[in-house]
Amino acid sequence: MTQSKIEKLSSLIDGESQDEQLIDELSTDAELSQKWQTYHLTRDIMRKDVPEVINFDISEQVAKAIADEPAIVAPKLSRWKSIPVIGNVIPLIQQSGQIAIAASVALAVVVGVQQYNHQPLPDEPYVTTNARGGTLGVASGVSLEQTRPIQSQRTDAQEQRRRINALLRDHQNQMRLKSQAIKSEPTDPEKADDETTEQK
Amino acid sequence: MTKQRNRNSRLFLSTRKCILLLTLILCKSVSANAFNDPQAWLEKLSQATSELNFTASFVVLKPNADVEPYVWRHAIVEGVEFEHLNLLNGPGREVVRVGPNISYFEPYTPPYTLQSTTINGPIPYQLVKSYKDLLGSYNFVLVGRSRISGRAAQQIRVVSHDKNLYAYNLWLDQASGLMLRLDTLDLNGQVVEQLQVTSLEITEKPDSYFARIELSELPRVVELSNKAEAILSWRVNWLPSGMKVVKRDIRRLSANDGRVEYMMLSDGMVDISVYLQQLPNGFSQQAALKHQSNTLITMQRDSLAVTVIGKLPTETAGAIASSIGIIPQ
Repeated sequence: MTQSKIEKLSSLIDGESQDEQLIDELSTDAELSQKWQTYHLTRDIMRKDVPEVINFDISEQVAKAIADEPAIVAPKLSRWKSIPVIGNVIPLIQQSGQIAIAASVALAVVVGVQQYNHQPLPDEPYVTTNARGGTLGVASGVSLEQTRPIQSQRTDAQEQRRRINALLRDHQNQMRLKSQAIKSEPTDPEKADDETTEQK
Repeated sequence: MTKQRNRNSRLFLSTRKCILLLTLILCKSVSANAFNDPQAWLEKLSQATSELNFTASFVVLKPNADVEPYVWRHAIVEGVEFEHLNLLNGPGREVVRVGPNISYFEPYTPPYTLQSTTINGPIPYQLVKSYKDLLGSYNFVLVGRSRISGRAAQQIRVVSHDKNLYAYNLWLDQASGLMLRLDTLDLNGQVVEQLQVTSLEITEKPDSYFARIELSELPRVVELSNKAEAILSWRVNWLPSGMKVVKRDIRRLSANDGRVEYMMLSDGMVDISVYLQQLPNGFSQQAALKHQSNTLITMQRDSLAVTVIGKLPTETAGAIASSIGIIPQ
């Protein structure tokens, strides 16, 4: 890291400059972001703003906690039961009602996922299809996670829709990678054959 | 009386001369104008697109989709071809080409560079740059002249030999030969997709944009793994004329999807994907739908789903899907 970059960072933290490029770099360069944290901590100590417990980065802990949390939709204790008369009537309806509510929630979540999927995304590219899980944003991962407990509620049509969206996306990617594929596999006899006939 | 006759004959002579002259001029203009040949026009198009310095704005219209406006710049800087394609709406998508390296800058993904001759996008590079590869599967016909984007334009029809694929109407700038408009037409002549240039500027010098590209800042070239081509136990028995298999592959679409067997067909102009998937028990899959200008057809074969995707007529997609045969082991 150069001295000028450190100076730039320092003036960014002091609010003296607004360097877009540096902000971008902060999110990719680990060393730089470490510096960023140190500077902030130094400033806080100097101003005596330091909290009693110093948690430098809770985002990691939150992410971990979410990952560890069992994916169960636990029913809450019904408020109806505390009301004398209705409390007796409600359980009768509840049996069927709960299923209906669960179904509608499932539908809402699935519809949500579908709307997300259905948007004409500007051809999401990923270098290989497998890399997708790693590179694509949090949004799809989290929402898909939420539907998991109620996956059995999904109808065939919805599952089919999901498959079709996956195929359409893959088709876009394959078209982009096509020329690369032809180039990087010249040793294959059949491919080479195809190529020559194409060029005639 | 004799005078009168004399004058008449002179008049007759002069008209004959005139006609002769006219025919001569016509003959000459025909022989001089090689541009009655559609191939000469396409040659001019590919030369113009790879040699001129130009900046074009164009829009792409697809059914059930928003208008996509683009800026397309091209320049030759010190003998190297530079190209810039920028989607102007939404989070955008930017592509920069420097020689054979194409860098993609897109939302949600780190930028990357591929080595390729063509930018995958709205511009049909095969048609624009190497029409000769298409002669085996398409006919080119000169249609006539009209006015597009405020310029005199030459119209060319591009029709596949066996009429199983979409046809195209292409308009080229009369003066420069650059593409002004491209309509994709289905078998009934209905427009499926439209690319229309809205402004075109041809300049002596490269656009100032290219001076701002920092070559060292461009992402590194991604080398895709040199995976050997998979051997599939099925084949496509019927293809539209000119179509060839360009890729075979076995992989997963995503972590929670099953395995798919994949084949890409292409005639240069159109890319078609064919997928074979094992379906879960008791699950059936039948669909035929249009997604913007893509056609998707899924058919079920025992426990397998055959899917064909691409910019092609539904009938043709169906014929390809149903022609798939399993090779006996």
